[in-house]
Amino acid sequence: MEIIIVGAGKVGYKLAEAFEIEDNNVIMIDVSAKALERADNQLDVLTVRGNGAQLSLLKSLKTGEKDLLIAVTSSDEANILIASTAKKLGCKKVAARVRNPEYSKQIDFVKKEMQIDYVANPELETAKEISKYVIKGKALHMEDFANGRVVMTEFRAKNLPLAKNTRLKELDIPGPMLIAAIQRDGGIIIPHGDTIILESDLVYIIGEKQTVNNYCTDCGKPSVSKSAKKVMILGGGKAGYYLAKNLIKSGVNVKIVERSEERCRYLAEELPAALIIHGDGTDSDLLKEENIAETDALVSLTGYDEENLLLALLAKKHGVPKVIAKVSRPNYIPIIEQLGIDVAINPVLITASEILRYTQGGRVASLSLLLGGEAEVIELITQENSAIVGKPLKALNLPRGLIVGAIVRNGEVIIPNGDTVVGPEERLIIFILQSEVKILKKLFYKTRGGVFGELWNSYKGLRDPSSI
Amino acid sequence: MNFGIVIKVLGTLLLFESIVLAVPMAIAFYYGENTNPFLFTIVLLILTGSTMVTIAGKSKKMQSREALSIVTFGWVLVSFFGSLPFVFSGVIPSMIDAFFETVSGLTTTGATVLTEIEGLPKGILFWRSLTHWLGGMGILVLTLAVLPALGVGAFRIFKAESPGPMSDKLVPRVKDTAKILYTAYLGMTLLQIFLLFIGEMSLYEALVHTFGTVGTGGFSVKDASIGAYSSSYTTWVITFFMIAAGVNFALYYELYKGKWKSLIKNSEFKLYISIIVIAGILVTINLFLLDHYEGFFEVLKQAFFQVASITTTTGYGTTDFDQWPAFSKAVIFVLMFVGGSAGSTGGGIKIVRLLILGVVIRREVLRLLHPQAYLPVTLNGKAISSNIVTAVTSFFFLYMLIIAAGTLLISLEGVGIVTAVSSVAATLGNIGPGFELVGPTQNYADFSYPSKMLFSLFMLFGRLELFTVFLFFIPGFWKSK
Repeated sequence: MEIIIVGAGKVGYKLAEAFEIEDNNVIMIDVSAKALERADNQLDVLTVRGNGAQLSLLKSLKTGEKDLLIAVTSSDEANILIASTAKKLGCKKVAARVRNPEYSKQIDFVKKEMQIDYVANPELETAKEISKYVIKGKALHMEDFANGRVVMTEFRAKNLPLAKNTRLKELDIPGPMLIAAIQRDGGIIIPHGDTIILESDLVYIIGEKQTVNNYCTDCGKPSVSKSAKKVMILGGGKAGYYLAKNLIKSGVNVKIVERSEERCRYLAEELPAALIIHGDGTDSDLLKEENIAETDALVSLTGYDEENLLLALLAKKHGVPKVIAKVSRPNYIPIIEQLGIDVAINPVLITASEILRYTQGGRVASLSLLLGGEAEVIELITQENSAIVGKPLKALNLPRGLIVGAIVRNGEVIIPNGDTVVGPEERLIIFILQSEVKILKKLFYKTRGGVFGELWNSYKGLRDPSSI
Repeated sequence: MNFGIVIKVLGTLLLFESIVLAVPMAIAFYYGENTNPFLFTIVLLILTGSTMVTIAGKSKKMQSREALSIVTFGWVLVSFFGSLPFVFSGVIPSMIDAFFETVSGLTTTGATVLTEIEGLPKGILFWRSLTHWLGGMGILVLTLAVLPALGVGAFRIFKAESPGPMSDKLVPRVKDTAKILYTAYLGMTLLQIFLLFIGEMSLYEALVHTFGTVGTGGFSVKDASIGAYSSSYTTWVITFFMIAAGVNFALYYELYKGKWKSLIKNSEFKLYISIIVIAGILVTINLFLLDHYEGFFEVLKQAFFQVASITTTTGYGTTDFDQWPAFSKAVIFVLMFVGGSAGSTGGGIKIVRLLILGVVIRREVLRLLHPQAYLPVTLNGKAISSNIVTAVTSFFFLYMLIIAAGTLLISLEGVGIVTAVSSVAATLGNIGPGFELVGPTQNYADFSYPSKMLFSLFMLFGRLELFTVFLFFIPGFWKSK
């Protein structure tokens, strides 16, 4: 695919990285040379300095012939303008990031009238994700695949009814489900029969929905306690606003601590049901006064990662049962679980997953990024001539970083083993490390291997004049 | 360092070289010569290459460290195996001599240890010239263009191998950029072969001399180099293509896309053409006044051929410029430090670096007048980052440092100072001929083995733009992260 990404910030970079790995041609536009430098040094993309809303620039980059344009600059208005302009120029699909709550009500209008195919709202998505956790009180990641027949979820190993310190192959796992990955010491391990699960691990389970649900309920120790009734939100920015709104709708008692008086006034007007407190969230006396020990959950959503982490730690010390922190920089994620914070939520990854899922279409039915994008779970539909079809899995020489978690065949969920043979038109749910993503292409399209095969392919490429 | 990916890519590179060697083998077969030297080398390459690819295991993501190792080791390995046909055939019996010759070929230097060229097997000479063509745009970039799946960080290889302070990509993907560059290169090659063939050259000679020209190499199959051809047509065709090969190939892509203006606006291109024209005119006047050749057009032809040959670092000759008057020789000597454009097949310091250095000097002078002035370094009307400016100034200093150190070391041979300086400048700048003992009619055969090894190193240094090779002498490069 030919893709243009306007805005080389955190989300722009993450998207470019994900697209680049999957062999798409990416052009990145940003006004800042500094922002582009990182992309230039780390990724195989073309970087262009300039204002993406400038018609002459978009024209000179042949935006009209591109498959996709994503506008993720810091300004909503610019994003809408860029996406809309690109669409008018003839770009096949356009997506824009729009975060302002005031615009969120007119998204449908924007989509229709400005012809923007997809509007991403990271703050809204973040708020949805957090409220799922706060209200439902189950695992944070409960991703649905194959129209909800298969789920993937993560649990702390100590909450699971597994015999501790035993080998994986000796574990008694009921029904169609499997342990796809283990997150330990900030890294991801793809387990095999001899792997021992430790108390401190975070375990990713893929399986048939009912089985997984029963398993979690049966164990008597649900991963997290009951639904929260009283929630304190630190930071009343966009994400805080969306979250409060969502929670209030479900009848939760919401307290928002916000530093700026002006913002407080706005929140008080827009969210009459919430209690708005004008003060500094880092002031521990204020938190005590507001009865932090009595709240069921604390969500820290200020603009600074460091502040969010510190506040979350402070809350944990006061004995708040559920503590959630927003962390925008993916590099922090591996250390967070070691700090004892229940959930670190990353708006960058959420937005990137959302946009990727939207744009992949066709071949990829579903996709979500995990652990700072280090791994992803992807749902693919096999074709008649895919290399993975027709051979037992163990004969395919799959890399260690890839695990086929589940196969949906005629509506039935199968957990594969080495002897399983994949057929055409089946849905596979694959857990894969980012470093191995390239192999997916080989597995799902038939290609010749070896030096001569590659020469043949490049010869075919040369005959196609559009490749030059 | 992740040796797995390094070994895998290097193995692939050797397998690729084995395929390329089939071409000179076919030539040798056609002329009824002994094909065994090539056959043995191909077998060795296939064995080594496939062993390396097999033992390498699973590939992981490539970082700058690995890419730099691949480029440097790649050039050394390809040169080593490339020298085997010379040894096996007995044309150059000594391994060190043969290595020198191959490095000289691949780095498009054109310095030779052969005293008599005519009469040697045609297949071997074809291979010798083909190395120019392969090395011109970069062997690894060529491998990238035809074997796109080298690894995840393949673009880092491109950055490490492509000449110039900034590697400009034309399209998002490096492999596509490589394809575009090679298409332009191939087009230029075919055109020159045709133009030389309709002149006085045979197809074989046209092929060999085209490789030497578009790669800005300088190996010929004649003892008298291009001087062996009497027609002005041949000389002017080669002059034109030498100059064309010294232009940034990205500009040809712009031309292809119909952007004529970007060619005229490009300050590096303008300076490059100006240098050749002014130097050519100066030499013409000097030679004409002192009656060196018969007739104005003969003088013009000789002057421009030599000037273009040295500026683009090709090293072909139609006359012995060592016999020229002092001023003309001085012009040629100064041109040895100029080089071609960035992103061309030419070597040397590169025009764009001189351009940036010039702007830096201008800025320093202006700053004396206006201490508070904000003066960014600009190129083609755009400010360039201070990192690049620092890289360019340090490159220039390191270049001069190597010339100085090299001159000291080569002087140990007991050769004159002019020979020592010009031989180092000619190898480091990938030019080939220098003055006196390494002049256009001379060669590098009489130097000792240590000096030849040193020259080989200088040629690699020059082709891979100093820092890539220099890294290998820094202990920190070898330590794991």
